[in-house]
Amino acid sequence: MLNIPTTCPCCACGCGFFLLARDGELVGVAPSRTHPVAAGKICSRGWSAHEGPLWGQRLVRPLLRRDGKLEAVSWDAALDHIAGRLQDLIQAGKPIGVLGSPRATNEENYLAVRLARAGLGTNHLDFCYHSLCRPLLAGIEDVTGDSSHSIGLADIESSNTIVLVEGDLAKTHARAASSVLKALASGARLIVIGCARTQMARVASCFLPTVPGREGDTINGLLAAAIRTGPTEGRGAMPSAGLEPLQCKLAEVNITEEMRVAAEWLTADRAVFLMGPGGGDAGRLRQDAAAMTSLAVITGHLEKPDSGLLPLLARSNVRGACDVGLAPDRLPGYSHIDDPEARRRVERIWRKAVPIGSGLDAEAMLESVSGLILLADDPEAVLPAGRRVRAAMERLDFLVVLDAFATAAVETAHTVLPIASYAETEGTFTNFENRVQKVRPATAPPGEARDGWRVLADLCTRFGTGSAWSSANDVFHEIAEAVPRYEPAERGLSAGGWGSSLIGAPAWTRFALQGAAAGPAEADGHAYVLALDGTFDWGSDPLVASSPTLRREYQSERKLFPGGFVEMNSEDADALGVREGWRVKLNSTHGEAVVPIRQRKDLLRGVLLAPYAFRDCLSGVLCEHGVTAVNVERA
Amino acid sequence: MLSELEMERAVFTLRKRDVTEWLARLLGQGEVIAPTSGPCGEVIFSKIDSPEQVLWDFENPLSPPKQFVLPQTDPIVRIECKGKGTQVAPIHDNRRRFLFNVRPCDAKAIAFLTRMHETEPADASYLSRAAETTVISLDCNAPCTLGFCVCSDSGPFASGGSDIELTDLGEKYLVAASCAKGEAALSGMDGLFLPATDEEVAQRDDLESEAKRHFGDETCHFGSAMRRISTGRVDDALWEQMSDWCLACGGCNFICPTCYCFSVGDRGGDGTWTRCRTWDSCQYAAFTLEATGHNPRAQRRDRMKRRFFHKVSAQYFVRDGMAGCVGCGRCISVCLGATDMPAVVAAIRKRAWHEH
Repeated sequence: MLNIPTTCPCCACGCGFFLLARDGELVGVAPSRTHPVAAGKICSRGWSAHEGPLWGQRLVRPLLRRDGKLEAVSWDAALDHIAGRLQDLIQAGKPIGVLGSPRATNEENYLAVRLARAGLGTNHLDFCYHSLCRPLLAGIEDVTGDSSHSIGLADIESSNTIVLVEGDLAKTHARAASSVLKALASGARLIVIGCARTQMARVASCFLPTVPGREGDTINGLLAAAIRTGPTEGRGAMPSAGLEPLQCKLAEVNITEEMRVAAEWLTADRAVFLMGPGGGDAGRLRQDAAAMTSLAVITGHLEKPDSGLLPLLARSNVRGACDVGLAPDRLPGYSHIDDPEARRRVERIWRKAVPIGSGLDAEAMLESVSGLILLADDPEAVLPAGRRVRAAMERLDFLVVLDAFATAAVETAHTVLPIASYAETEGTFTNFENRVQKVRPATAPPGEARDGWRVLADLCTRFGTGSAWSSANDVFHEIAEAVPRYEPAERGLSAGGWGSSLIGAPAWTRFALQGAAAGPAEADGHAYVLALDGTFDWGSDPLVASSPTLRREYQSERKLFPGGFVEMNSEDADALGVREGWRVKLNSTHGEAVVPIRQRKDLLRGVLLAPYAFRDCLSGVLCEHGVTAVNVERA
Repeated sequence: MLSELEMERAVFTLRKRDVTEWLARLLGQGEVIAPTSGPCGEVIFSKIDSPEQVLWDFENPLSPPKQFVLPQTDPIVRIECKGKGTQVAPIHDNRRRFLFNVRPCDAKAIAFLTRMHETEPADASYLSRAAETTVISLDCNAPCTLGFCVCSDSGPFASGGSDIELTDLGEKYLVAASCAKGEAALSGMDGLFLPATDEEVAQRDDLESEAKRHFGDETCHFGSAMRRISTGRVDDALWEQMSDWCLACGGCNFICPTCYCFSVGDRGGDGTWTRCRTWDSCQYAAFTLEATGHNPRAQRRDRMKRRFFHKVSAQYFVRDGMAGCVGCGRCISVCLGATDMPAVVAAIRKRAWHEH
């Protein structure tokens, strides 16, 4: 039995474990006490992380669509075809886009970036989940000038006070929830902002009930309370702009007794702030994130080494995807696309000119490019638009999909390139703590599948921006050149062992404080707020959906409710005279929908929640921004 | 050959320098699985290629040797469709294996698993593997940090389950074979094993008493918890409260040397499938989900209650002859929440979850 130390491909916690393989086949997973993140503790997704690659519907041969059918071809034929078709599109002046993925390694994403900007000469470059996490990262950047800041799980465990904007941490990031429980067991206080008494809310010291879309009001309340409590002595040495306007803005904010107490707890020695991407209006989410960051600044915790803010990104390598420049407007290392110095740095490495000006983001790209290279992702499973994305995919003149799994995207692809899954390739993921960690192969890729980085390297070469990469390490070496903060990680990665290396974020010089936007005016005549629960659906992710153990957990709800459901407070359901599984008619300014309800005792009254997976079922009633005022009646 | 009665007490000594020779012989007979220095500083059970790889002074590996008798993914049946007919053939793993230097708790756990799988309807797939596996245990002269094996009579010295029990007597090992399989692993080793003297056997008993003294009063008192669980005298409110400290990772099941619940799935296609047994966890919400949507254990507190009922109720104790816990303490290391065996047992005994 082989024990291969590697990094979990699921959430952004980045736990390490051993993949077990026997006779060239994956057998299981074993935890390890020595991994710096996991420390022996992994969640259900980690325990079954071998099952996705083992049981999944794998792509094993390059495929080419002929007369509407995908047919197996040789690698050379597939790659020649791709090069020819893309050249034709370029010569015809048609726009081409590239979508990378937080499921892909840094090496794969980096080469996708180089292929797009230097090879194909396009800045239409992004990843689908970016649409969901961009407001959060932008809000942090608005206050600090940099979005790459984070803290570690160890900082949560040693904190005195934890502020959590709750999605459902116990389910989305169970390893982080574990750290919160550990802190609580050692006496820390947990403040939870949310619309339901979730597991984290039940163990919290203080629950601040907040209707979806009104998180900003609660954060503003905490900000106002923190300003009134005043700074703790010796903290807040960093110059902060915008305190006075913020005070003016918050003058009328209602501070509840709970908020006052919470602000008192924030004067403790160490505090951490946990916030994930939310649903709804991007501008509002960005301001909420900025306000939460400002709360960390005002209470003096952002500058302290063991305190600060942890953005709860969903997938294993969201942070890495951002770091290597998988964005329409950023170069590797977050420099703006038009920053002359940064352009010179990458142009020297890539030996090609980089086009000027921001490209299109994932959503806009799908609507308007002619050719698309899609790396290890399934837009309809990830983007808020859900199945409506399919029409845009079908419209493409040429779609190339590189993936280990036969996702829905393959159905519309013109060419399919089979690549290794995380369990069969070498590379790195960067977790939400800013820890660059080694991914190692436990078995060979199935059939003719190849390492993703090799395929992308081949495509780079075909488009005149190749280098002599002979290993994933060579690619990482180049990343360390292009992204200066990755340079110190290189030695840690090559040292053997876990290959886990914490990288620093740039030092801040000043902060620009901001409050949150006030919540929407009371929706006239609408009694309920309908919101999506979460921003990522593990049930449609190939690693989870292919695993028999996990599929049962994550997909049983959609089997029982193929048309979706909304969760409703039990008392609201009683008042309406509806019971579990009965249908209600939802009515918004946008339209209407008829769906069954499920009762929840722990949900705030007046709130309707639907799992992110069911956004398609509610597209008739949900407004574009996700959080929607609705009326409800018995159907 | 020794008579059956004598075999039960076939006790020898082995000089430490001769261990290499013995292991080399065993390597000639089959796979030897032993605690070794694994990657990243972790001690792991793995197949050795040479005797030097075996660790003798080690903390019990986080993953028990269960993977070698009951793999997480275990092919059990091959299914082939040819024309109109369907052929179904069992897959038996008959590789001869020696599980070497397993701790007494793990040896007892394997005996527990084997007894469970022997019970009718017997599980031929498991039993074919178990039949070819010889368990050679090494007593714990100094107990490990998290273990509480004395509570479940599974250690720190062999207490049933090993085919051969090794005790470190300083200069040599005491080697006691307890069955024909153990005896076979000692045979043909001319001159390697010398009959043990009464003094040497007495020395083992002294070491056992000394090892047990390490536990002091710090045991987890299964007794009173078992009484309350068996008679349903644990408040639902307490289960509810405790379940908020469980993150449903399933780690307690997967890491547990005695947990064996599984699910079944078919891999393959194009006329050939492999039916696999896969580890499952009773802590997962859909573990008991029925096709109608009804779930008899829909709440996490119900699942937790069920788990501890199976592990430490008198009903199961009577059925299995032992608690479903060998006190290895691994669940303390892997529990993502705070609901490991000692924590829950203590809460049941005190009728209160720890205050926060």
